[in-house]
Order: sequence, then structure tokens, then C-alpha cells
Amino acid sequence: MSVIEPYLTIRGVTKRFGSFTALEAVDLDIYPGEFVSFLGPSGCGKTTLLRAISGLDVQSEGIIRQGGRDISELPVAQRDFGIVFQSYALFPNLKIKDNVAYGLVSTGRKRAEIAARVAELLALVGLADQADKYPSQLSGGQQQRIALARALALSPGLLLLDEPLSALDARVRARLRGEIRDLQKRLGITTIMVTHDQEEALTMSDRIVVMSHGRIEQIGTPDDVYGAPASPFVADFVGRMNFLDGHLSAPNQADCNGANLTFASATTYAANTPVTVCIRPEDVVVRGINGDAGNVFEADVGVMEFVGNHFTTMLHVRGTGLNVSADLSMNDVRDLGVRPGGSIRASLPIERLRVFATPRP
Amino acid sequence: MTTDSLTLPKLLPAPAAPRAVRQRMSRDDLTMRIVLSLLVLWLILTVLLPLSALLVKAFQDGEGHFAGFANFALYFANPQLTQSIANSIAVALASTLICVGLAFLYAYGLMRTCMPGRGVFRIVAQIPLLAPSLLPAISLVYLFGNQGLAKGALFGASVYGPIGIVMSEVFSAFPHALIIVITALATADARLYEAADALKASAWRTFWTVTIPGARYGLISAIFVVVTRVLTDFGAPKVIGGQFNVLATDIYKQVIGQQNFRMGAVVGLLLLIPAVLAFFVDQMLQRRQSAVLSARAVPFQPRPNRAIDLGFLIVCGLVALAIIVVIAVAFFASIATLWPYNMTPSLKNYDFDNVDGGGWESYRNSLRMAGLAALFGTSIVFLGAYLVEKTRAFAGGRAIYQFLALLPLAVPGLVLGLGYIFFFNAADNPLNVVYATMTILVMCTVAHFYSVAHLTALTALKQIDQEFETVSASLRVPFYRTFFRVTLPVCLPAVLEIVMYLFVNALTTVSAVVFIYAPQTTLASIAVLNMDDAGDVAPAAAMAMTLFLTAAVVRITYALATRRLLTLSQAWRFR
Repeated sequence: MSVIEPYLTIRGVTKRFGSFTALEAVDLDIYPGEFVSFLGPSGCGKTTLLRAISGLDVQSEGIIRQGGRDISELPVAQRDFGIVFQSYALFPNLKIKDNVAYGLVSTGRKRAEIAARVAELLALVGLADQADKYPSQLSGGQQQRIALARALALSPGLLLLDEPLSALDARVRARLRGEIRDLQKRLGITTIMVTHDQEEALTMSDRIVVMSHGRIEQIGTPDDVYGAPASPFVADFVGRMNFLDGHLSAPNQADCNGANLTFASATTYAANTPVTVCIRPEDVVVRGINGDAGNVFEADVGVMEFVGNHFTTMLHVRGTGLNVSADLSMNDVRDLGVRPGGSIRASLPIERLRVFATPRP
Repeated sequence: MTTDSLTLPKLLPAPAAPRAVRQRMSRDDLTMRIVLSLLVLWLILTVLLPLSALLVKAFQDGEGHFAGFANFALYFANPQLTQSIANSIAVALASTLICVGLAFLYAYGLMRTCMPGRGVFRIVAQIPLLAPSLLPAISLVYLFGNQGLAKGALFGASVYGPIGIVMSEVFSAFPHALIIVITALATADARLYEAADALKASAWRTFWTVTIPGARYGLISAIFVVVTRVLTDFGAPKVIGGQFNVLATDIYKQVIGQQNFRMGAVVGLLLLIPAVLAFFVDQMLQRRQSAVLSARAVPFQPRPNRAIDLGFLIVCGLVALAIIVVIAVAFFASIATLWPYNMTPSLKNYDFDNVDGGGWESYRNSLRMAGLAALFGTSIVFLGAYLVEKTRAFAGGRAIYQFLALLPLAVPGLVLGLGYIFFFNAADNPLNVVYATMTILVMCTVAHFYSVAHLTALTALKQIDQEFETVSASLRVPFYRTFFRVTLPVCLPAVLEIVMYLFVNALTTVSAVVFIYAPQTTLASIAVLNMDDAGDVAPAAAMAMTLFLTAAVVRITYALATRRLLTLSQAWRFR
């Protein structure tokens, strides 16, 4: 197997608005056919990065190369991308077929050729029968699919999705996620999506770029980002997480409020370093615990919150000040007879713990 | 080759020192900037330079040398002239008090009660917009003048003077004040009233603690608009002012009567002060008003209340009746053989060709001028608003354009017209070829009414999706194609609104053009003025009625036509 050249290369991209730095020296490679999501809270710089890639707001410094050519200084119209916005931005006074054909008309193709391409695109998004309607006659989800067809009309090398599903209601959003991802895989088009919705990023992406304060916090597959967050920020932003404060008692052990927690590999921090130990509530194990599993504790059951498919349960580790939130399935609760005020044996699996040095205040 | 897959792709050589990235300009960007710059030049030519000429003139002596404040000293040494300042202020304050008071009651009736006939009342209130400002004054002469029908109603006081001026100004300014107050009252949040209700506040207390605070910016804004209009209106005091001099008539007398341009310029500058002040107050208020509005406000729905509804029906009915009477009197006077002695209907007053003042030719000129101003003005205004909204970067150029486009809002018509004389009549100005032509009338009229048209266009443009241009650029479609194919059709209602606004105002305006018309370009509104001046009051009323009816017919045709046009061309608006 030979080296795959990245399709999009971003090096040292910085964007300043006056004295405010929205992006700071961002480096990123995106490979052909990849679906990459920029994920982060508002103001993290994800949209700024997308706007730099599209040329709508060029970066202050740094280089962006697409398909081997430096596009940093090119105006929007000379770049090669299709874009879909949260607002759809469909032309309200043009029929669906004219919206989709909008970019084709000025390429000087023959009328029949354009009609055939429009039909092909509409079939692609499953709306072949809506060609003669106006955008306002379509539902939000349908409009967004039309916007997608329009963006794909010129077969761009890069597809940019700017919060494409945020304006839709939850049910439509979930369905469209799958449809967009399918379409993207079928066409093999390199795609970047900006989103603040972690579920969207986790379900759709090949890789996720988690951003905060104009910097990249982590680049990785959905699995990596969820299972092995690279920083407390990522751990906190993606999914729910227990943050247990303590200090190192051995290279691979930490004392958290009197409870000694062992982790899989030794840290490189000095002894006694203040650390934060992270474990996801759903990783706390309460059944099938055998003797040699690490970090096994007797715990008192505190507040139990019913959330539909599980109970978010507060466990007070007996004899210590350590409190851990655990997601207990309905089966666990039923079979083990868990109830507030009762007690239970719980394990914080060694390989599921993540340790970070606590940043100094 | 298996190990290769683990090798990181070759990194690009890092730049030695980070270099600032400057985006290359696309052809679209370049075109937009050039066109916007041309429009800036146009506004400099038709607004800024004439104003500067006026400013310069006020500080020059007869030979064109710098004279400092000598002209001002001369002005203030003349008690006859300075008396006009006091007169103007007194008239403006009285008119404003009455006009805004009535507008508030009327708007309250429309927006906050369930009185019957609100649709009709709304339409009747718009009637004064269609009449030249001379019409109510002429009508009042027929009503309360020396041979007036209802002369006794004034208990011996003369209508010629402050009373007549105030009455006509209230009539002319009423729809302008009303629209502002209506907007202010329209933004009520029902939740505040429900809260007041739940806290057991009396209706009276709710009115003073919820209604008035909610409308206060609108009221202040209306007050400034009316004060400015009254101070700078020239038609009413000219017709009905008698010996009562105000600033606006002083300018006219100094310039037309005594050919004293420098003194005219001084008075013009004085008139600029309240208008500029009003402009800045309004800008400030608008910024605050927007903070008052909350997107989550629940619209207020008035509930029927017999006593209140009846009370407002009577008040609004009286106001509407007064408006109709003013128009009706002018109409009947114009078709009477000899008001009030021989009321046999006759069209002899409409035989304008046998009266001095320009005849029917002036009416045709007016139509041509209004048509050209509407056509040309709408094109340039909409294009300008589009470019100011959509041009990428170029912040400097856009800010200058925006400033110049709003500047006419602070310039009274008389002052602008005077500036046009100074600028375009200068012997050393190569542009003086337009002097005394239809062109200069159109230029001046478009400049005079530029701001409101610009704001209308801007509002419409802001309401459409901001990403149309981005999508077009990514599809490599040039901006002008999107402009003609999408932006313009989507904004068609606003465009037609601007056409209408410019046409009706160009038809009825007096103040902006009174200094720059020529014998071969007399306008109907000027003819009204001149006929009245020469004592031909009945033909003046007839010409004013002709203008009024033209504006009314155009307006009604427009309403019917646009309804049809919109259903045809705007099918996409309806599901």
C-alpha cells in the first residue's frame, strides 16, 4: 500500500478579528473521500475554519491546499466546492428543478443535458417527483435534500455542510443523518461538516476534529474521540463523564478522596501530581465482577434518576469521599435489586480510566 | 511496502515567517466595487456638492470672498428676519403638539381597540400623502378665509397667519406621524398586559406603566419628524401665512423676491439645524428601540370594550371627517363656477391654459418628471442598496455610500434646492448645462427622497437569505445573474413600493424644485403656487385637485395591479 496524499491540507491557519484570535495555527489533513466533522461549542472556531476553506472569510495567515493546488488566496468562485447551509438558502422564486440546475445553466451545457443531470440529481436525493414545486411547498428535510442536490450539481471535489441539520426537528434530523452519510459514501466525495451536535458528529463521520478556543483539541475516529478523549475538554464535551480529582500515589495509581484507583498504564507525571481521573457513567460495571478485576468497591446507592432506558445512579464509595455517577440498565436495577439507600458492588474497569494532570488554576 | 502506510504524508515546508494572506479579488468583487464607487460619485454630485456650495455661499461676500460670519451678523441685526425664528418655532411646537396628540389617539384606536371600521380609517389617514402641501392651505382659505363657509367658527380670528399654518401643517404631517406611532404601538407584548392584569393594576396605571413606555421612542421620533416637517415646509405658510413670516418663506423671499442669495444661504443653514438634530436623535432612538423588541414577544390582541370602542370611534371619526372635508372643499371649490356665490358645477377652473402659471403643459411636465424620477430613482436606489448590502469587504466604500444615502433625510427640500442653484448655476461648473432642464429637476427630486427609498430597499434586502450570494459564487454563477434572476424578483414588492413613493412625492413636491424650475419646465405643483400667488385661487385649487386625483388614481391602480401582478409572478410565496 502506498502513501495516500491528503486531498485538503491546512497548515498554520490563523484567523484574527481585530485583537481576537478565532483560529490559532491550525494544522489538518483531510483525505480523499473522507467525511470529517468539525465539532465544538459555539465560538470554538469551527465555522471560521469552514469559511476559510470556502474562501468566504480567508485566513489571516497560513496555507490551505486543495487537490494539490494552493487555494489560500483564491476568491470563492475560483475554488471547487459545493456548500449547504443551515438555512438551505434555496432560491424561493425558482422551482426545484431550476434551483438544482442553477449552476449548470451557466456552464453552457445543452438544455437536454441539463435536464438529464437535474433528473439524475433529484433521483439521487429521492425527490424526483418534486421537480415542479417551489421550495416553500416542501418540508424542511426535503428542502435540505434539494440544497444538497444543488451543491452536488457541478460535481465539486469538496462538499461543505454548515450545520446542515440544525434547523430540522429531531426525527427528520435522525433520518437525514443516515441519508446524507449514505449519499456521501456512494459518491465518495470528500466532505466537511460543521456541527455542535456530538451525536451528529459521532454517527456520521469518519473522523472528528474537536475544537475549542480556536485550537484543535483532538482529531480522531468517533471511537477514539469518545473512548479515548485526548483532553479533559474533549472528555467533557463529548458524552457524559465522571471527573474524579485526586493525586498520584504511584505511577499507575491515584488517590481520589481516599479511594485508590489503578489505571492500565503508568503515567509520566511526577509523584503526587494532582490528577483528574475520568470514567464514563456507562463504563461502571455492577455485575459479573470477579475477584481480580481492579478498582472494585462496595458502594452505597444514592439518588437514582430515571432517564427512560436507564437509571443515572449516584454511588458513594464506602469508607471514602468518592462519588461516582453510573448508568445502570433496567436489567441491572431489576436483577440486582438496586434502590436508593441500598448497597452494591461496583468496579471502575482499569482499562476504561483516563488520567489527566489537573491544570493549575 | 507495508510499512509505507504508517509513514506520515510529507509535510509541506513550513513558511519561514507567517505571511499575511490576501484574497485575490474576483471579477464579481471588482465589478461591484466599481459600480458602488460610481454610485458614491453620483451621490457626491447630487447631494454633497450642492450642500457644500450652500455652506460656502453663506460665508462669502458679494464678490465671492470669504466673509466669515458677516452674513450671519447681518441676518441677526435684522429684527424682521429674526422674528421669523420665533414664529417658526411657535408654529412648529403648536402643530407638533396637536398633530402627534391626534396621531396617538388615532393610532391607539386602530391598534388597541376593537372599534369598527379600522380598515377604512387606515386608508383615510393616508389621504394627505397624496396632496401637495398647498392643497390644505387653499382649502382652509375656502373654509375659514374672508369669504369662507365657516368663517364664524374661528370667533373672529383670522385664518391667515399662525392658525391657518398650524391647521394645514397638522393635516399634511398627520400620516407621517401616524405611521411612526402605529409602528410603536404595534410592537406591544401581550405578556406585559397579562402580567399587569394579574397584578391587579388598573387600566389607567397599565396605560402609563406599559403602553406609554412601550411607545415612547415612537412618540419622540414622531415629534422630531413633525417639528422638522413644519419648520421646513414652505407651501402652507406661503399660501395662508399672510403677514406672518417664517424661516421657510424668508428663504423664498430672499432668493426669488430680492435675489439675495447669501441671505438665503444663511436661512438655509438655520433650517438645516433642526433637521440634522432630528436625524441624529432618530438614529439614536432606532438603536434603542431595537433593544426593546424581543423575538419572543406575544402579539397583543385588543378585546372589545363598548365604551372605549365607541369613544375612539368618535375621535377617529372626527379626524377622518376633517381630512375628508379638507379635500372635499378643495374639490367643490375647484368645480364651482364662483365659490361661494355661484355653486353651479363647471370645469372653467380647469382651463389652465388661460391662466398664468404654465397651463396643462406644467401638468404634463409633472407627469414626465415624476415618471423619470420613479424609474431612474428606483433603479439607482435599489442597485445601491444591493451593493451596499452584498459587496464583500470594501468597508470604507460601503460606509461612505451608506452615509451619503441617509444624508438627504437631514436636508430640507428648500435647502437642497437652494444648494442646486449655487452648485449647478455656477458659471465655472461644466455641469451647468443641466441647469434649467428636466434633468436637474429629476436629479434633485431623486436626491431629496433618496433616504426613505434606500431604507425601504435595504429592509427588503435584509429579509432575504444572506447566503444566496455565497451559494451562487460556489456554483460559479456571476452575481448579476443572481441579482436579476433571484434578488430582484424576490424584492419586487419593495421595488414597486419605491416606484410608488418616488412617483407620488415627485408629483406633489414643491420645496425641492421651487428654485430650479425654468419657464419651459414648470411643474404642476409650482403652478398651484404661482396661480395662488397671482390671486387665481380657484384654478390653483383645481390644479392641486388634479395632482391629488392623479396621485390617487395611480395609487389605486398600483394597488389593484400589484395584487394581480403579485399573484402572477409571486406564485412561490403561497404554498
